[in-house]
Amino acid sequence: MKTVMTIVPFSSKLLLMFEPPTGLLVPLLDAPHLALPLDAVKVSAGFPSPAADYEDKRLDINEYLIRNPVSTFFFPVQGESMQGAEIFDGDILVVDRSIRARHGHVVVAFVNGERLVKRLYRRAGRVALMAENPSYPALEVEEGMEVEIWGVVVGKFKRLVA
Amino acid sequence: MSVFALVDCNNFYASCEKLFNPKLKKLPVVVLSNNDGCVVARSAEVKALGIPMGVPWFQIQAEARRYGIVAFSSNYALYADMSNRVVEVLSGFSPNIEVYSIDESFLNLAGFERQGYASYGMEIRQRVADWIGLAVCVGIGRTKTLAKLANHCAKKNLAGADGVCDFTVMCGEDLTALFSKIEVGEIWGVGRKIEARLNEAGIKTVRELRDADAETIRSRFSVVLERTVRELRGVSCLKLEDAIPDKQQIMSSRSFSALLYDLADLEEAVASYIAKAAEKLRAQDSLAGTVQVHIRTNVFKPEVPQYQPAITVPLPDASSDTRILTYWALRALRRIYRPGYGYHKAGVTLMNIVPKAKQQLSLFATERASNPGSEKLMETIDLINQRFGRGALRLAAEGIDQSWQMRRGNLSPAYTTSWEGLAVVRAR
Repeated sequence: MKTVMTIVPFSSKLLLMFEPPTGLLVPLLDAPHLALPLDAVKVSAGFPSPAADYEDKRLDINEYLIRNPVSTFFFPVQGESMQGAEIFDGDILVVDRSIRARHGHVVVAFVNGERLVKRLYRRAGRVALMAENPSYPALEVEEGMEVEIWGVVVGKFKRLVA
Repeated sequence: MSVFALVDCNNFYASCEKLFNPKLKKLPVVVLSNNDGCVVARSAEVKALGIPMGVPWFQIQAEARRYGIVAFSSNYALYADMSNRVVEVLSGFSPNIEVYSIDESFLNLAGFERQGYASYGMEIRQRVADWIGLAVCVGIGRTKTLAKLANHCAKKNLAGADGVCDFTVMCGEDLTALFSKIEVGEIWGVGRKIEARLNEAGIKTVRELRDADAETIRSRFSVVLERTVRELRGVSCLKLEDAIPDKQQIMSSRSFSALLYDLADLEEAVASYIAKAAEKLRAQDSLAGTVQVHIRTNVFKPEVPQYQPAITVPLPDASSDTRILTYWALRALRRIYRPGYGYHKAGVTLMNIVPKAKQQLSLFATERASNPGSEKLMETIDLINQRFGRGALRLAAEGIDQSWQMRRGNLSPAYTTSWEGLAVVRAR
């Protein structure tokens, strides 16, 4: 039986996160971690590895894309209207609800019963959901329209080889 | 002084369904129990229609058509993930938290007074709404019983504001007036039967129970109810139960989509319930010493012949190997099965559960009992199933098409736990 240990960067209690709405530093919940078998690295009794003191943990793509796992959700994209923002058909969006949507953010919005990805425009009293493709018109948000900004798109990913 | 909060998700299952499906925004939504039988969750719109909890779905077909009620099968994968997310957010507000049910948690707020507990409650409510997209109500009180009652008041808008109700800032007269309006049956731990007995004894409201003589309550009812009385008075008797102890029994039981008559079908069902239970057993690093199997005909149809046997089998050696547990469970099933009955439900219970580290081998321990290969195999099966979905790799005894599986005809996708279930956004 292999013993498995969990490697957490520093102490999970020490990891702090900047929390946008309040501007406070708060402990990061669910610090990214990677489980490795304890005996994965063989220790030899001979000459010590010159790299031993420089060993780093392997890169984790979750860590790169996701700052706040608990409020992060994925949505695949269908359509061409956001190509200008480098969002293509089949991309999977990383959407973080803990970020307050501001002017210029790419957002997932629920509009009249549809899930859409758009760029949020909010300047000088005008609120609109913009496409990033000249062949798609902007969607002006007017009084009485059912629009819910669901979350802010913080990244995207796609696997190219099956 | 102790302070507790009870945080409870509003219409949890129905809200989860609405969160990912914009078409449901203002529609009345219900979630149905296993086999799409009864209404187990209702959206606010459905509650407003006066449709009661627990009503069989087929009985409200007329209303469903008239008001366009949308029904979903229970999407446990979705609800469990959303529940875990809520708990994770709540853990950021207090180091002491007790997950009481899938949609309710107690928090110990002692030491978090800052600008007042109510504003802390508002912060909790806002964070869960922002981060997870679910609405919660927060009840705050000096005891768990009071926190639960405060939550009821917040939800029903009897006291407090904006879904937060803090009893700790209400004066004695206000609380007494409030408690005079609430029926005693709303108190945590006072079930239907106790409520009826209390009513007979002239205790109809929360206030009357709070002011009842504790000794009398103890002698005429129980120590448990006496504790409730003390808790209502603000004396904290119940602590948070932080760590969930390992289960002493693991049960897996379901009703079938249709009555089963053949032994072969029952065998598949029992084998698959064993597989589920054994997976849980291994997840808590334990072994089971005893397997119990039960099968039953439909007790709700007294006009058909009834048969509800159960059998308990002590194993030669405690085990967590699905193959061994299945072997004994199927032997047990063949012993109790009688042809000619229509079986409605089957279940297995793993008992005499011991931690793997404390395994006691029998004097004539078979080689299988401590077989390291078995452990490795089970570990591998669990890993594969975690990655490719439950039942991806299973014993042939569980069957291929599993036509007895419960009906979940209106199941929404697993929006957060499966790549296939992700909700598509349109770029148009």
